[in-house]
Amino acid sequence: MARLVVLGGGVAGHTTATFAAKWLGSEHEVVVVTPNSKWNWIPSNIWVGVGQMSKEEVTFDLAPVYAKAGITYYQAKAVSLNPEGNESTDKSFVTIEYTEAGKEGQSETIEYDYIVNATGPKLNFDATPGLGDGNGQMGDNTVSVCTADHAVHASHELAKAIEKMKGGTRQKFLIGTGHGMCTCQGAAFEYIFNIEHELNKAGVRDMADMKWISNESFLGDFGMGGLHMKVGGYVVSSKLFAESLFAERNVEWLIGAHTSKVEPGKVSYELLDGTMGEEEFDFAMLIPPFAGVGLKAYAKDGADITDTVFAPNGFMKVDANYGAGAYENWKASDWPRTYQNPTYANMFAAGIAFAPPHIISKPMSSPNGTPINPTPPRTGMPSGIIGKAVAHSVCDLMTKGENAHLHEASMAEMGAACVASAGKGVFSGTAAAMTVYPVVPDFEKYPGTGRDTDYTFGEIGLAGHWIKHILHHLFIYKAKLNPGWTLIPE
Amino acid sequence: MIKDIVTYPSPLSVEYATDVRTFNENLFALIDDLKDTMKENNLDGLAAFQIGSYYNVVVVKDENGEFLELINPRLISHSGSVTTEETTAYYPGKTVPITRYESISIVYQDRDAKDKTLKASGELAIVIQRKIDYTFGATFIQRMDKEQKERFELSLEYGVDIGTADYCPTTFKRDKIITVINITMILMALNFLVSLFLSDETLLTQLWEYQLYASFGVLGLNVIYFFYAQYEGKQYTSCTSCQIGNIIGTATISLIKLSVLMVLSYMFLKP
Repeated sequence: MARLVVLGGGVAGHTTATFAAKWLGSEHEVVVVTPNSKWNWIPSNIWVGVGQMSKEEVTFDLAPVYAKAGITYYQAKAVSLNPEGNESTDKSFVTIEYTEAGKEGQSETIEYDYIVNATGPKLNFDATPGLGDGNGQMGDNTVSVCTADHAVHASHELAKAIEKMKGGTRQKFLIGTGHGMCTCQGAAFEYIFNIEHELNKAGVRDMADMKWISNESFLGDFGMGGLHMKVGGYVVSSKLFAESLFAERNVEWLIGAHTSKVEPGKVSYELLDGTMGEEEFDFAMLIPPFAGVGLKAYAKDGADITDTVFAPNGFMKVDANYGAGAYENWKASDWPRTYQNPTYANMFAAGIAFAPPHIISKPMSSPNGTPINPTPPRTGMPSGIIGKAVAHSVCDLMTKGENAHLHEASMAEMGAACVASAGKGVFSGTAAAMTVYPVVPDFEKYPGTGRDTDYTFGEIGLAGHWIKHILHHLFIYKAKLNPGWTLIPE
Repeated sequence: MIKDIVTYPSPLSVEYATDVRTFNENLFALIDDLKDTMKENNLDGLAAFQIGSYYNVVVVKDENGEFLELINPRLISHSGSVTTEETTAYYPGKTVPITRYESISIVYQDRDAKDKTLKASGELAIVIQRKIDYTFGATFIQRMDKEQKERFELSLEYGVDIGTADYCPTTFKRDKIITVINITMILMALNFLVSLFLSDETLLTQLWEYQLYASFGVLGLNVIYFFYAQYEGKQYTSCTSCQIGNIIGTATISLIKLSVLMVLSYMFLKP
């Protein structure tokens, strides 16, 4: 019996572990190590953040699901990897530290035959002074919707702001990215329009000033270099679409912005043109940048080999071309296909945890040298697809031997769909549904934008909003491994 | 080399321009073509998109009449707003009032791939904004409000500014009745689907009653639609008699859908 250890229970980790458990049956063991006791459908955190859903509606307990699937579950965080074992054993192992109530801080080692790193990101609040608390957690100055608990906190702060407006005090809302190297602009985009929708519903929209702050170099970049939208029979670029949406709803914007410091009620920023400025706020939701979770790696003799296994940003190195160099040399083929670690063949990474070879958008920096550009999105659909491909590869390696063919899922050959809602009402909601193909532009295959423009478009309307609702229920149903879960696509 | 400028009604590509990644002879030739074409046509600015290239390159004349080469330009910040009469090469002979930012700040690259910034106001700011719009597949029509856009499209169609003339609209109030009919029928279809998984006779009787009442409602709405649509069409003198064909067709399609739903419900849902 061989053992597969999956680090992380998010979209990528959960997909890898559940498919591996199904395909391997009881002949091999699947272990999941994740610090969280609950699974969270993160896209719906937006609705939690405006008080339209409870935490319970977007999360569920992992333990019973893993028990049903025959997966061994540790509520713990991975601390370090010993891919060659240590002085006393030749077997690879991972050191974990429990986060489970009653066992917090206790360490243990788990040996593995194969390991999949799907830890997701560390929410690197401390990258921007004042955005974090100095101990790696979110600070007091802003709110976030990155986790269900953050979203609950955000909804309470929003309710307080609404009360103040009802009492006659104007409030300034600042929503966007909290650093020049953030991803997930789509989540912030959804949040600002959901807040706008809620303020209208509460009858206090005229008491609110709303502003968007983002590291995109144009409005509607969404971290993927833009796309075109079909709106009411017209086709427009996402830039024009976003600009008219913001103007229509009286939301101002700041783009090409690196948030350099956050203080109570005030952010300092630097723009791509070198301008420095400050923006005041009463309520701010700023997405933090992502980093690797800080896993360490040690050789058999105890030497630190973290640099060999992980890229400097803490994400795990995989079969990508990390030496592509300047922007003009970037190719679709730089992107990984199998997600296997080049040094240790029994290690894989999936979802946000793998180190991308470079960013997707055009690299840009201010005259002062500060890089300001979106980092590559690797969440949602790509995470699920990569997780499933990695599960396939690992299962084949375990059942057919180490020469088994590895399954491939390059982000330069896969499409992704995302739905950004702008209000939750059944008949009053709207959402922009967007698809891109491929996620990473392939300039050789598709001269011009690097994308197949027939499959890269967006549409806004009530139908998109219903799709978002349906996806919410569908993916939670799937993640709970209810009957027919394997038939639901990633 | 002087190039042909794409003009209406030839469509501009709906794709947005792609950023220049390689700064080589091909790029310099493109910039030269833009300059030659500007000189020939006496233009203040031209986007590569307007001469059929998909690269994000714009050439404008600055305040001194010198060429300014903007590669991969991005409009980063803006202030104020100003409305001026604009003309553009894509719509020869058309002059339209357009509101834009008064002052702008842009970042771009020069032909040596060096990052540059530029603050502009007045005429230069306006022409840069219009050209950057082209690089995103848009003309000044996307900067007009709905009413202005409709008037402009009419003037394109009839060759003169007939903003006050009557025209047959493409959307009517009667479409809302069709939306209600469609939503009701979607609910009926869901009802039918749910009934396939139920065996409780009381529940099925209730569902059948719902289908029956809903079908009467849809029938009634179709009758209202039929007469109201004709009344509404007559409010516009330029709406032709082909309206009636459209109205009959829409009502017939709706009634066919209803009939199919009710036949299926009668066969499989009715206890």
